[in-house]
Amino acid sequence: MRPEDILKFSLADFTYNDSETVLDPPRDFETWTSDPRIGVAMSFFEQPLQQAPTPRTTLDHRLSGGNREMINLTSYNYLGLSTHPEVVQAAIDALQTYGVGASGAAMLSGTFDQHEKFAAELAEFKGRDACMLYPSGYAGNLGAIQALMQRGDVLVIDSKCHRSVVDGVKLSGARLVSFEHNDAQSLDAMLERHKDSRRMVVVEGVYSMDGDLADLPPIAEVCEHHGVPLYVDEAHSTLVFGDTGKGVVEHFDVEDKVGVDFGTLSKSFGGIGGFVCADENVIRYMKCYASPFQFSCALPPAVVAAMRKSLEVATRDDSLRQKLWANVERFRTNLEALNLDLGESASQVIPIIVGSDGQELIQLAMEAQQRGLYLQPIDFPAVEAHARRFRISVSAQLTDADIDEACNIIEDVIARPTGAVGAA
Amino acid sequence: MTETMTKDDIIAIIKKNLKENLHDVDVEAIEPTSSMRDHGANSLDIIEVVSATMRELQIRVPRSELSQVENIDQLADKFLEYL
Repeated sequence: MRPEDILKFSLADFTYNDSETVLDPPRDFETWTSDPRIGVAMSFFEQPLQQAPTPRTTLDHRLSGGNREMINLTSYNYLGLSTHPEVVQAAIDALQTYGVGASGAAMLSGTFDQHEKFAAELAEFKGRDACMLYPSGYAGNLGAIQALMQRGDVLVIDSKCHRSVVDGVKLSGARLVSFEHNDAQSLDAMLERHKDSRRMVVVEGVYSMDGDLADLPPIAEVCEHHGVPLYVDEAHSTLVFGDTGKGVVEHFDVEDKVGVDFGTLSKSFGGIGGFVCADENVIRYMKCYASPFQFSCALPPAVVAAMRKSLEVATRDDSLRQKLWANVERFRTNLEALNLDLGESASQVIPIIVGSDGQELIQLAMEAQQRGLYLQPIDFPAVEAHARRFRISVSAQLTDADIDEACNIIEDVIARPTGAVGAA
Repeated sequence: MTETMTKDDIIAIIKKNLKENLHDVDVEAIEPTSSMRDHGANSLDIIEVVSATMRELQIRVPRSELSQVENIDQLADKFLEYL
């Protein structure tokens, strides 16, 4: 590695280890991470929260060397259910009944009455035959795709799909093919090219780094034309989109064109876990062959009990969704007035795209956090090198005062220095 | 070893690694002005071809520098810069 190139490198560059023993990380990686400038960038990782992920939280903030209160724009707690009193009480009650862990894999001893009831409730909510739970969202995509696909099959995914989808297809042995983001014509070409193989298409309801929606109507039409099943990852859209919160599939009224409906419990639900809804025979089959389901301990029953309450709270009326959308609107209005590049966001995930300069991104992030804004930088390779960014996760719990204060800080530390508004 | 490499040598290595990752590709038919995607490579294949070629050339080119590369010819040029 040439010293003058250190800042050009990223986490994308060290996956191959050229050391003689596997317990020696790559030599260049050691050189790279020991550079103080890279050290500053990495200090944003794993800063421990000292309180719940609410809009005002306390962070052990390494950049200023101690605990400090921050306005939190980073947690996925979109509906605030992580700390909803009824959800917390449901967890406490279940802890006293069931203890802390499930103490077994779902197929043997890890399934409790809570799991069974919740899976049925989720299937009913999503309007599907059946549902199965996974220990995490990552495990859900990994397991579902690994179980459904096999060597010789082709999984056709949107180019911006999550790593869990990519890892699932690697594990399955099927071939991975991607189509241009949200481009139904590109999808059509890929399905045509691989028409001699069994295929499945995967898209996301809301893309997590851009906040844009899958263009589902034409994508579903192309899938239907080719007779290929469509798998929709609603990790960021469940409980947020659709009249009843089913997700983007409901929002676009294409429920009857989707074969597999995936969701997570770690975002709007405020807990942890993943779930997959499909026809009963598909779920029965997946349960027998999805390794992350078979070989992981089941979700703790108290978490499941809490998630049942989250579902009840979020669907008994639309007040939380309405509050979230009001907050999204207020944020967008304020940020658009600052002339910031928000990409194609149409959801509660709002990027602020800064550009190609990684050092500038880190400098802006330091200033934002030193002003009390917990807003994380999203650098290459998580996003394209020319579109490094911040990502705001709007929560229904934010007050108007929180949003206005956050936008004032964003104006001072991002919009003005980058020239979006006024003089630096 | 790599100091005497020409651009044609590098293109030959890229083609060889493409062949190893995409078994049904015809190496003779690969034009340098084409992209690996034109030959059916997915993002994982491209990462593997680029990594294998860099290992062979004993160079490490930042991935961020490769994001604007559109074809095999441009990839070879980028590798040449780091030899």
